[in-house]
Order: sequence, then C-alpha cells, then structure tokens
Amino acid sequence: MSAISPGRQHAGWYEIRVRGHLDARWAAWFDGLTLTHGSDGTTIIEGPVADQAALHGLLQKIRDLGLPLISVNHIAPDHPEAPAAGAR
Amino acid sequence: MAAWLSLDRGDNDPAAFWVYLIAALRTVASGVGENALALLDAPRPPPIETVLTTLLNDLGAVAAEIVLVLDDYHVIDAREVQDGMAFLLDHLPPRLHVVIASRADPALPLARMRARGELAEIRAAELRFTADEAAAYLNEMMGLRLTARDVAALEGRTEGWIAALQLAALSMQGRDDVTSFIAGFAGDDRYVVDYLAEEVLARQPDRVQAFLLQTSILSRLSGPLCDAVTGQGGGKAMLEALDRGNLFLVSLDDRRRWYRYHHLFADVLQARLLDEQPGQVQGLHRRASEWHERNGELSEAIRHALAAGDFERAAGLVELATLAMRRTRQEARLRGWLEVLPDEVVLVRPVLSAQFAGVLLISGGLEGVEDRLRDAERWLEPATGHREGPQETSAEMVVADEEEYRRLPATIELYRAGQALARDDALGTIRHAQRAIDLALEDDHLCRASAAALLGLVYWGSGDLEAGHRGYSACVEGLRRAGFVADILGCSIALADIRSTQGRLGEAVRTIEQALQLAGEQGGPVLRGTADMYVGMSEIARERNDLHAATQLLQRSQELGEHTGLPQNPYRWRVAMARVREAEGDLSGALDLLNEAKRLYVSDFFPNVRPVPAVRARVWIAQGSLGEALGWAREQGLSVDDDLSYLREFEHITLARLLLARYQGERAEPSLQEAARLLERLLLAAEAGGRTGRVIEILVLRALAHQALGDNPAALGFLDRAVTLAEPEGYVRVFADEGPPVASMLRAAAKQGTRRDYLRRLLAAVSGTEDNGPREQGLIEPLSERELDVLRLLGSELDGPAIARELMVSLNTVRTHTKNIYAKLAVTNRRAAVRRAAELNLLPRTHSSRP
Repeated sequence: MSAISPGRQHAGWYEIRVRGHLDARWAAWFDGLTLTHGSDGTTIIEGPVADQAALHGLLQKIRDLGLPLISVNHIAPDHPEAPAAGAR
Repeated sequence: MAAWLSLDRGDNDPAAFWVYLIAALRTVASGVGENALALLDAPRPPPIETVLTTLLNDLGAVAAEIVLVLDDYHVIDAREVQDGMAFLLDHLPPRLHVVIASRADPALPLARMRARGELAEIRAAELRFTADEAAAYLNEMMGLRLTARDVAALEGRTEGWIAALQLAALSMQGRDDVTSFIAGFAGDDRYVVDYLAEEVLARQPDRVQAFLLQTSILSRLSGPLCDAVTGQGGGKAMLEALDRGNLFLVSLDDRRRWYRYHHLFADVLQARLLDEQPGQVQGLHRRASEWHERNGELSEAIRHALAAGDFERAAGLVELATLAMRRTRQEARLRGWLEVLPDEVVLVRPVLSAQFAGVLLISGGLEGVEDRLRDAERWLEPATGHREGPQETSAEMVVADEEEYRRLPATIELYRAGQALARDDALGTIRHAQRAIDLALEDDHLCRASAAALLGLVYWGSGDLEAGHRGYSACVEGLRRAGFVADILGCSIALADIRSTQGRLGEAVRTIEQALQLAGEQGGPVLRGTADMYVGMSEIARERNDLHAATQLLQRSQELGEHTGLPQNPYRWRVAMARVREAEGDLSGALDLLNEAKRLYVSDFFPNVRPVPAVRARVWIAQGSLGEALGWAREQGLSVDDDLSYLREFEHITLARLLLARYQGERAEPSLQEAARLLERLLLAAEAGGRTGRVIEILVLRALAHQALGDNPAALGFLDRAVTLAEPEGYVRVFADEGPPVASMLRAAAKQGTRRDYLRRLLAAVSGTEDNGPREQGLIEPLSERELDVLRLLGSELDGPAIARELMVSLNTVRTHTKNIYAKLAVTNRRAAVRRAAELNLLPRTHSSRP
C-alpha cells in the first residue's frame, strides 16, 4: 500500500521448486512470475517478491493447487542473478 | 447430528465468525446460543470468553451428540478467532465433537490436545485413496468399468489424491478409449490437475467453457448473478446442467439456488481466464459488483469493486455500508477496506473521511483521526474564498450517503469530543460535545445521545453532579428515541450512582426500576445490564439496612448470569456483597471479596469515584489493621493538605477515618486535629457540590471527631444535621456502621425529643437488634395492601378482566397495580411475579408453611 512496508527489507528474488510440470498459463495467476520446467519433472517458479507477506501469499496459492513443494530459495536481495538476466 | 460451516476469508472478522458458527450449531440444536448471539450484537460486546461460556453452557445441556464441522479452516488467520477457538476446544462439552478440515495445521494447541488424547488426526496419508478405494470409487460410484491395471495406473499417477481421481473420472466418462487415455496420462510429466482439467474442459462445448471461465471469479454463483456477469441469459439452466454433469459445482442450499465451484477447479479456471482473456477480468468483477449492490449485498459488491481496481466505486459502497457494518460490529473488515483505498479517493469524500476517523477511534488509536476529520471538514466550510485543499486540486466533492452528509457537521464534532476524551482533555470534550449537540439535526438522536453521554461522563468526573445527571438523562432520551434500549441500562447505572451520591436514594431506586421495566418490555433474552440494575438496587437496600433484601438482590443478579452484566458488573457485584458482609460483621469475608473486586476492576468509561483499594482500607480500619490502612494511604500519596477534588473525595474521607481510628488506638492528639481539619474542608466541598450523600457521612465523622475532642454540644449539632438530611431517604448504615461511639450520641439526641422513631431505628441497627421492622417483605418498596390483593389473584387462574371484577375495579386499575407489582418485585411477567412472591413468602395465606 505504501513505500514503508515493514517486510520491505526481506524483499528479493525467490526461486520456488514444485513437483510436476506446471503449464506456462499459470504465470499470470502467479502475478507474472516465470515458470520453467526442470528435466527432473519439477517446475521452478521464480521472480521478484515484494515482501514476506507476498511470499506467504504465493506459498498459499501453491498449497491450494495441491502442488508438492520441494524447495524455496532466496536468490538475491534485490536484483536477479538468474541466467536470463546475464545481460545486465 | 452435524452442523456444517464452510469458512471464507470474511470470517476472519471475529463478530462474523462466531455469529456464523452459532447459526450453524442452531441448525442442529435449535435454541442454543441465544444469549451468546445477543451479546455479540451488543454495542460493547464482552470478552469472547464470556460469550463462549454462555454458548458452552447451552451446549452442555444438549442431550444429543453434536458434530461441528469447520470446513476450509485454513482461511482463518485472525489471532482473535484462533484464540476463541482454543478457548472453545479447551472447554468442550463431552457430547460435542469438532471436526476441522484445513489445508494447513490450525494455530491451536495441537501438541497439548494430542498429549491428552483429545485429538484424532486424519492426515494426507489417511486421506489418500488406496487401490481398493480408488477401484470402488471409479467403478462403482462413477460407473466406469476399469481393469485392475488401469486403476493401479491412475492411483499411482494421482497418488490417491481424491480431487485428481475425480477429475480423471470426469475426463473418462463417455470415452471408448479409456485404456489409452490412462496410458497417455500415466506417461506424462505434466501437473496432474493441468492435464486433467485440460481434458475435462476440452470436452465441453465452447459455450460451457466460456461460462466456466467468466463465472470463475465468483465466490458464490446463482442463475441471475451469472447472467449479470456473462451478459447472457440461461445462467440457471447452465448451473443445473453443470451440477448434473458433476462439474465441480458444490450446492450451497437445498433449493439449488446458490452454488460454488470446487476450490481447486475454480483456481484452474481463474488462471486460464487471466492467461487467455486478461482484458475481460475487470469488467467481469465490475458487473458482479453492480449485481451485488442491486441485491443489497454490499460486502460482496465491495470485494468485487476492489478486485476490479475500481476504487471510486468501492469507496462509494464502503460509505454506504459503514453504518450497517458498525452496527454488526464488523469494524475489522471495514477498516481493512478503508486501508486499501487510495488516499486521493478518500480525500474527496467528506463522509467517508469522517467514517474513517470514527473507525480509527473505535479501534483505540488517535493517529490519523484529526487528519481525516480535517479532510472531511474542508468540504463543509462556507464558500468564503479561503478554501484550501479542494480548490488547489480542483477536485470535486463526492458524496454517496446524502443523509450522512447532512449530519456531518455534528458527526465531526462528536468524533472530536471522543478524541479529546481519549486525550484526557475534559474541557475539549465538553466544548466539542456541546457543539455536536447544537449542530445535530432534529432526527439525529444517536449523535445527540452519544455527545450527551460524553458530557455526562466529564461533568460527573469533575464533581458537577447535576450537569452529569443532565448529560446522562439527555443520553437516555436520545437512546429511547433511537430505539437503543440496551444502552439505556448502562446510563441508568450512572444516573442512579449520581443520585445516591446526592443523597437521593428514592430517586436512585426509581431510576433503576424504570430501566428494568423498559428492559422487561423488550421481550427476547435478558438485556445486558440487567444484572447491574440488581446490584444497584442491592446497594440502596443495604444502606437502608435491609440486608436480607440486599443479599437476595445480589443473588438475583448472579442467577441471571455473567452475560447479563456490563463489563464493570463483576467488580461492582463483589464490592456490594463485601459491604453487606461488612454490615453483617464478617470482615474477613468482605476482604476476600474486595481482593477479587480489585483484580476484576475495569474502567469502562466511568469515573472511578469509589476506588476498591479505599473500600478495602475502610475494612482494615474497621478490623483494627491500621498498619495495612496506613500503607494504603502512603501508596496512594494521600495527605491531609491535598487539594480536594471529587474524584479523590472517597479516598480523603477514608483518610479522615484512618486518622480518627489512629487517635482512638494510640491517643495521638495530632491525628485527631488533622482529621478534624480535613473533615471541615471536605464538608465545605461536598456541600458546595450538592453531594448530600457524602455530606451525611462527613457530618457523622465530624460528630465523632468532636466527641473525641470532648466538645459534646458541637458533636450533637453535627449529628443532628446528619439525621435531618438522612431521615427522609431512610439512611441507616451510615450511622450504624460506626458502632457504639455513635450509639451514645444517638441516645443523647433521642432524649431531646425530636425524630424519636427514626433515632430508635438507628439505635436498634447499631446494636444489631433491628427486626427489619416494616421491611419484612424483603423488598425495597413494600407492596401495598391492594397490590397484595392483586398479587394473590395473579396466582389464580383468573385473567385480567376477571381479576378486575373480583376486586370491583376497572381493568386499567388492575393493569396499573400489576405494573407496580412487577416493578417492585423486579420481574417482567405474571409467572415470575407469582414465583417471586412465593420465594419471598409474601402471601402466607396461600403458603401456610410459615410457622
């Protein structure tokens, strides 16, 4: 709602891994995060997450879909180090 | 019997949650929770533990086994609701079982319940279908004819997940190539739900697919609502077809009017909608919002307006919903809406800005209140050229609730008064409350009542009792006009307390009787505040030395149950009972009660004019525990040279008592001099404030002080003044509590010849020999002979007209007598009157058990 959100310092780039290949059409549902399929039958959902509240909202969506959660990783505090962002 | 409650996000508001939960219970155990519902509906609901205790009492009395199912409990994240649930589970009656279905472990003391063996957990492993169960479901229920191998493949791929098996079954219905379908499914890496939903949807006609996507945004579906959202007809038929086809529709009522989608399926549909037609989403939400508004469901209308990002629309709806939301105590939800609205949208809406300030005040904060009030006020200033904000931004004022806009000038002042009170600013409170009353429109009774109560409170606390009484009287009048009877009881406590302090006991009794009568006329469950009324009556009965009635009234108050008392009643009850015990000579019993009272004290917007520690200090003094009493005086920082104020008057009188007692014990002359000086000042102050009740007490103490000083003529002079003031109102204990020292003076006064009967009664009370004289009925106001006649006939089979004939009076006369009887017996109907008469043995002729 405003720039001074208490969870702000925990914002950053997250990578969430779930079991099963999730269709790319879910990207909009997950607020524009990118979905990539791993060769091990998992899906990686990644992108910027505003704060801890947003992260938990995201995890709830995953739970509600019945997707088995494998891991949650905090990749970088602010900007992605993901391979796709190598141009920067 | 199972009570079922499906939860959604809105149920995080404690008021909503408990109302729905009780409503669900009432579907299987009618009548339970009536008092709890009344409490939740009260303007100031008690702590949730009190509400739940009355509910648990009701449930404990139900003979049948009840199962309460709470579905989708994972949506509950409000701490208050979770705490309430923990309390409920901790006190669960043996025949009530709670089933919680949740996708996350609930925030309840699970480990403790597990250790006590009170928890049965059905976790993912148990929920999963085994191969046998999957076969039974697919082949028997869904009518598929699958081989054991096919079943095993499906069970393996879905891991026995029931929702996935259901989707699979739907995809296979009517297929010839089932085995190859299963092979394809089993050999695919895709997320089970994606694969199967695709299959299910692909087999629906375009029309059905479009319908499913468009209506996926709705949390509940009905034919007309779907028509409004899709912009097409045939919604009802479509829903029925989906229901028949088992397409993840859950029926929400018996009449097939309201449905919802299976949550997982709804998520799949919404994700698709967002992906395929993102441009449509806003419009769908807006149409849903409009439909709900037309159908009077503002909460849903607001939810959809916010989802559509249409803040203008949402703001207007919130403005219109505020009154109803506040009446149903859903302030938490209201605040949630207000906080997501952008400031610029709220700024141009004066009514909404003021409502925002009101909600902030109610939730106990001051931050932002003044800003919001100023925002509102800017739109009210006359067009004199110095308008600031609005013109700078050239924005237009927006008003959704014209009625509230007309009331706004008074409303703003009322909130300012509330704000000043929260800041302990008495003068500011008075100034703003008075302005609110001046500005209030003719029909705005509630605003006037609220402002008048603030005035009453501040004046009372400052010692201006007449002004305090005027304030609370005006409040009662406003509440009566606005139809808020329950709140009148709270004001009546203040009115009776004020009258007692003024030495007008008879008026105090009448105030309470009127309030009780008004409450009795309401019907329905006993109004909250009724228990407090009996406590008030009891205190006066005690002062008049009818200790039997005083005790009975307190019992009555207790029997009504904690839920019929206002927040202060638990402590008031104990103080009243302690003083009865004290009068009976049981000082240690009194101390126990006062210690409890001290623990239970809550301020609840009444000035603390008789602090419990001071009442306790008086018992210590009576006991001779002067060390403890001195400790109290030190702790409170009391000294004979203090400036006097009404708020500390009771404590200063107690200090004077302590000094007198010290003199009696230690013959400490300075103590006596100090006491006399303090009492002299106290008397002047109490007289100036018209606090005759206090004046009587101070006069008695001055008489005792002068007696100790050896100045008997002066002592008798003070006593005579006290007796003169006390007789018309029937005071007794204020003399009797002083014991032998006062007795000798009373005897001396009696010799002088005036007021002999009264003085004799006082003397009898001092020596504890009074036989309750004319008050043997155990009532504050005894029944007249005629009323006793009517009461006797009320116990017969005769109806009103027959009683009138029997007594040869008009029916109206009978009615008047009956009304008076009810008021004096403190009952509200004929049966209760007869029962009460039997309890009090008022009709010995019909109950010959008396020796």
